Amino acid sequence: MPWLGAVPALPGEHGAAHVDAVLLEALDGVAADFVCTHVDRLGPVAVTTLSAHVTGEVDVARLAEALGGPVVVLDDSGAPDSPAARAATAGRDRADGRCVRFPGQSALTGTHPAAEVVAVSAIDRVVGIGVAVAPADRVETLGFLRPVCRGGELLLLVEPAVGGVLRPAEAESPHECCGGH
Amino acid sequence: MSHHHHDHTHEHAHEEVEGSWRDAQDDRPLSVARRRFLAGLGAAGVATTMGALPAHAHGDRPATPVNPWHGRGRWFAGDHHIHTKYSNDAQYEVAQQVAKAREHGLDWVVITDHGGVAHEKFSIDQVAPDIERARKSHRDVLVYQGLEWNIPGAEHATVFLPPGRSTVDILRAFEAAYDGGVLSTPVANGGKGLLTRSTSADGEPYALAALRFLEAQVLSGRTEIALMFANHPARRGVDSPHEFRGWRDAAPGVAVGMEGAPGHQAAGIPTSAGGRGAARGLYDASPNQDSFPGFAPTATENPYRTYGGFDWMTAKVGGLWDSLLAEGRPWWVTATSDSHRVHLDTHKQGTGDHNTTGSRGAPIDTGVPQVESDYWPGFYSSTLVGADSKSYVDVMRGMQGGKVVAVHGRIVDGLNLRVRSLGEGDNRGVTIGGRTFVRRGHDVEVVIEVDLARGANFAGVVPRLAKVDLIAGPITGPVADRDAFSAPGTSVVKSFEVARTARGTVKFTHTFRRVEGAFYLRLRGSDGNRLTSDGNPVMDVIGDADPWSDLWFYANPVFVDVI
Ligand SMILES: [Zn+2]
Ligand SMILES: [Zn+2]
Repeated sequence: MPWLGAVPALPGEHGAAHVDAVLLEALDGVAADFVCTHVDRLGPVAVTTLSAHVTGEVDVARLAEALGGPVVVLDDSGAPDSPAARAATAGRDRADGRCVRFPGQSALTGTHPAAEVVAVSAIDRVVGIGVAVAPADRVETLGFLRPVCRGGELLLLVEPAVGGVLRPAEAESPHECCGGH
Repeated sequence: MSHHHHDHTHEHAHEEVEGSWRDAQDDRPLSVARRRFLAGLGAAGVATTMGALPAHAHGDRPATPVNPWHGRGRWFAGDHHIHTKYSNDAQYEVAQQVAKAREHGLDWVVITDHGGVAHEKFSIDQVAPDIERARKSHRDVLVYQGLEWNIPGAEHATVFLPPGRSTVDILRAFEAAYDGGVLSTPVANGGKGLLTRSTSADGEPYALAALRFLEAQVLSGRTEIALMFANHPARRGVDSPHEFRGWRDAAPGVAVGMEGAPGHQAAGIPTSAGGRGAARGLYDASPNQDSFPGFAPTATENPYRTYGGFDWMTAKVGGLWDSLLAEGRPWWVTATSDSHRVHLDTHKQGTGDHNTTGSRGAPIDTGVPQVESDYWPGFYSSTLVGADSKSYVDVMRGMQGGKVVAVHGRIVDGLNLRVRSLGEGDNRGVTIGGRTFVRRGHDVEVVIEVDLARGANFAGVVPRLAKVDLIAGPITGPVADRDAFSAPGTSVVKSFEVARTARGTVKFTHTFRRVEGAFYLRLRGSDGNRLTSDGNPVMDVIGDADPWSDLWFYANPVFVDVI
């Protein structure tokens, strides 16, 4: 099954969770079990790109229209270098990016022992920021998990939170800075 | 922001700016040196330039000491980051904020409403007379007019000037030409539509042009001084290391520092204690597309959180701040309130339409304490500035020269630092923010006198200073990689314990023996309540950070040259 990459057209200065929702809506109808966002910094301005592992048929032209930007399918022929192709490769290799959809995500919406997070999902490791994580330590997901790809692994970064639990380092609704502009 | 490898060849940074030094009326054909002389900058201007040079650039010549020690100086407490009803997300009258600042012991304040289309069009003309009135009704408080500038390509910053005939004109021209919000807002919405985003890399040349514009206002004599401090620098990770270096290099007399500690210090109070249960400093973000990729949460740290209430760039020994200082680059830290809406105050925002009027209108008193993130100016955060007098220009010169201590919760009342050569060299020595020199192989003495809190802070407690850390590192000269953000040679060289029974002023001495190379040193202190095993501040826990039980001060550095 192929990996595809895309350079979606995105709304202006919006939070990451909002962008995720826009992307997943565009992917509606495409069977994909693994969806990541990446940042392409090779141009004059950083661009958010997308990678997805597709498990069924995909109408590339329709998807490109839904995303508002080019879509590249990674196959054996080797796609020419482009932001979309770089995203697809990064997702496939789990080199970088934050994961918006991954196998096991729907089973992890409450508070779960760290061992369970790893056992039931594609997450390879739960990594504590400044703290060691024991298998029994509780991870309070608050229904929002965005593990990150690093060096071939899918990591869930967590930090100590109120109530003696661990919480993901990425929150769904971080403080919108100073009223926006 | 993150981008750092494309050529900035755009011409846009040079457009004509209304009211600028490029104006026809003001286009005096003078050399910069002549303008500097006419502006009365003479020696002060030279000192500023010298301070910007890395230490080794002095070669064998004996350096001229900067910030020479004169015995005990006076500290003036203030806050360079305060919002009013002229910010869309804030609410108070200028007069309320100034009255509260005075009530909480501040000598000076800067009014810094957010830049943007509505502020530039509608707010400036309203805030200027409000500030004038506040000056008249509170003659013992210096009230500066400033701006919270959306730095193109980066975070926010305080920009401010002393009162003068051209102050409002300069601020207006600056905001119209260089605010990231104005530049990135589409033309249809009243902006310039020139940038992809306020924080995207295409803004970086505008930021440099903006700072050069301010420096030009000083050199041309339209204002005596202008300063810029980067606000909440690590909050979204969008201030890259090369941007700090670029700002400082573009305008060394203007771009002089950053918030060592952001405001919003009440935000982390647990909900169980009646607080908002958010992140201390409202530092709860994750990397975004404009974040510098080197600022990444890892198993050891999260740059997007505060540590003991201070920004990671300042709190980390050998981190970003130290990497700038290790170049010999003056760069100062402060502490501010960023006061928008005050925790447990009874007011809520007025109903004015900020978009169309530039004001929220008068705040509404609900009679019921509101759960918010901020403190009044002076209530928790203070920036102590050493100045010759309590005048608008002198306090700014003190800040420009780095005679600055960032203090939380009255953990100290003052600090008298003297660093001097015990052998050949500068025997009088210098104080905070200064630069001294010593003959190679001779000793350098550091004398630290800390004024402990003589009374209660605004939590009603007399805070107890538990320790003072002396931090030092070699000056290694300009970095090859402008995005470097570590100083591996910098460390805590000594921790002084403060006796439990200590009152008044405590004195510590340390001697650097047989100094072989240029170095810098700085001080920090803590109440000792929340320390890692190696004595560093702990990462603040979201929703569980009582700011009053984790108090720190950070003093700015002294550079020591070797001759
Ligand atoms: Zn701000
Ligand atoms: Zn602010």
